[in-house]
This record gives sequence, structure tokens and C-alpha cells, in this order.
Amino acid sequence: MDNSTDIEALRRENADLRKMNDMKSDWISISAHQLRTSLSAVKWILKMFIDGDFGKLTNEQTGFIGKAFDSNERMITLVNELLSLNHTEQTSLTYNFQNHDIVALTDSVIFDFSGESYKKGVPVVFLKPTTPLPPCAFDEEKIRVVIQNLIENAIKYSNHGDKVIISITPSPTAIEISVKDSGIGIPAAEQDKILSKFFRATNAKAHDPIGSGLGLYTTKSIVERHGGKLSFESEENSGTTFHFTLPLQRSGDGAAA
Amino acid sequence: MKKILIVEDDTFLQGLSATKLTKAGYQVMTATNADDATKLMDADTPDFVLLDIMLPGTDGYGILKKIRENTKMTKTPVIVFSNLAEDKDIAKAKELGATDFMIKSNFTLDELVEKIKGILG
Repeated sequence: MDNSTDIEALRRENADLRKMNDMKSDWISISAHQLRTSLSAVKWILKMFIDGDFGKLTNEQTGFIGKAFDSNERMITLVNELLSLNHTEQTSLTYNFQNHDIVALTDSVIFDFSGESYKKGVPVVFLKPTTPLPPCAFDEEKIRVVIQNLIENAIKYSNHGDKVIISITPSPTAIEISVKDSGIGIPAAEQDKILSKFFRATNAKAHDPIGSGLGLYTTKSIVERHGGKLSFESEENSGTTFHFTLPLQRSGDGAAA
Repeated sequence: MKKILIVEDDTFLQGLSATKLTKAGYQVMTATNADDATKLMDADTPDFVLLDIMLPGTDGYGILKKIRENTKMTKTPVIVFSNLAEDKDIAKAKELGATDFMIKSNFTLDELVEKIKGILG
């Protein structure tokens, strides 16, 4: 192959890559639009209930509708963040690191999934740490997304009657959060690709055709921005356990924030 | 009574916004596409337009362009109310003369009413 053919081939490849990148961006933009349309409808209706547009609610009704409204708001935030990830990748997203209670946050996410867990017949069990945890700084909204993504996957890829077990363990240098399921697992041959953007395992696609392949990629990016590590062990047809760590001392705090 | 034209192809969202704005004391006209919107505007010039972008046929940008070309509506406030909200979409709407750009999922209908009240006085 001479030089000019080489350059021509590279040029073509470059054009193809650019086209694929544009297609990816458009795809995200259109999906976000569709998601936001449904989310808007839910938001507006719930707000009208809360405001009493459809008559006075009991305290219990107001409480539950308020929770539903908050959950929907979080979904809207997630869509907005996926869009900003699309724009800037993870580098320029701003993170707000402060000391928060990871146990309370996990509890609140589990509550959000109580409906889904009941519907699928997959109970979520939370093994809380027996000793108080050391203070740990993290971005609460971002780590909420991480826990949501892991629990959502664990429920989604479990079979009726399986349990999802969440545990939190401190070590001298970090807090480790684990989410264990006994679901479909990740095929051995696909495990090295599972954290890549847009990748979905063959059995996951067969189990549930709806999914962007963005969840674990986003999860990994967020954990790494905290200086932590996302890892997993998995066996097809017996289940997957995801672990992520939040370091107690982030190296180069200023640089990471 | 001030007249508001809502151009929105999702009839459910349109119905909700229309209900809320009617309750807030406005006269509401609705269209789901550019042709109907044009007919309504020709028959009765609205004081305010709430405009979606993604529509069948001519999109919201096309309608906005027509509005600004209409001598009776060069100054009519138009809020683009869309869930398509990339920087380039917002820039395009502003360039074509939109008064403001609101992302539907980021506002409640009350906030929308407040916004419109602020503009129409």
C-alpha cells in the first residue's frame, strides 16, 4: 500500500467515525426528547394533584404523590445529566464533594425502587453496617445515580423470587458498597466490554430489549471521578455482584473537585 | 382577555397546558401543526404564542420564522416550549426571534403561567 492510498483510507475512516459520532449524539438527543415528553406529563399531572387541582387529598395521598413527584424529578435530572454527558463527556461536569450519610442515601434509593421490587417479585435486602461509618465526602446526587443504576440493573436482570442484597463495608481507606443479585449474570466472553459505552450483553438484550447501554458507563465515570473503583464478579445464570468504593481521602482534592 | 395560541402536537400535554392557562384567565387557542396554527393566527392574532419545536411537517422554527414575517406579529412574545433543548436548538430559536426558551420537563405548569404573566403583565 503506498502513502496516498494510506491517507485516503485514513480519511475515509475518519469521516466514518465522525458520522458515527454525530449519529450517537443525535440518538441521545432524540431519546432524551422522548423521555422528557413522558416525564413532563407525569410531572405536570402530579403537581396538579399536589396543588389540589383535582380536589383535596388526604395527608397520606399527598405524601405518596410528593414522593412520586420527587422520584420523577430525579429522573428528569438524570436525563439532563445524560445530555450534559453527551455534550462534554465527564470532564467538565461539576461535582460537589461534601460529607453525606451513605446509609441514608442508600435507604432512600431503595425506597424509590420499592414499587419496582414488589412488581417484579425481587425483594431488596439492605445489610446495614453494624458500626458507625467514618465521614466520607461525595457528590450526593451523582452517587445517588450510581446506586440507582446498580439497583435498577440488579432488579431488572433478576428472576421472580430472587433477592438483591446490598451491603456497605468500611475499610481503613474507603467505604465499599456492594450490590449482589442472583440473576442472569454476564457471559464470561463479554465481561471485558460490559463497562463500555452503549454495550449491552447478549443475554441482557434478550431479557429486556429496552436499555441504552449507558448506565454502567456513567456509573463507572462517576465512581472514578470520586477516586473510587467500580468492579464486579459475575457468572452467567447465577448472578452478578457489583462493588464500588468511595475513598475516605481523595487524592488531590482540589484537582478532583 | 389576552389570547394565547398553543402549538403542541402531543394532545395530552396540549390539553394540560390549555386547562391550566384557561384557569389562569386567558383565552386559549390550540393547534397541533403549522397549517392549523397559521389559519388560527390569520383569523385572530394572538397576544402570545407557546410553541413546540418537534411537529409533524413544518417544525416550530418554521412557524417562528412565519410569525416574525407577519407584520402584525413582529413583536408578539413567543416562548419556545420544547424538550429538544440542545445548545444549538436554543441558539436557533433565539436567532429566529423567540422571546424565551423553556424546557418542558424542567418547569411545572404553574411556573409556566408565572412566566407568561410576567411577560403579558
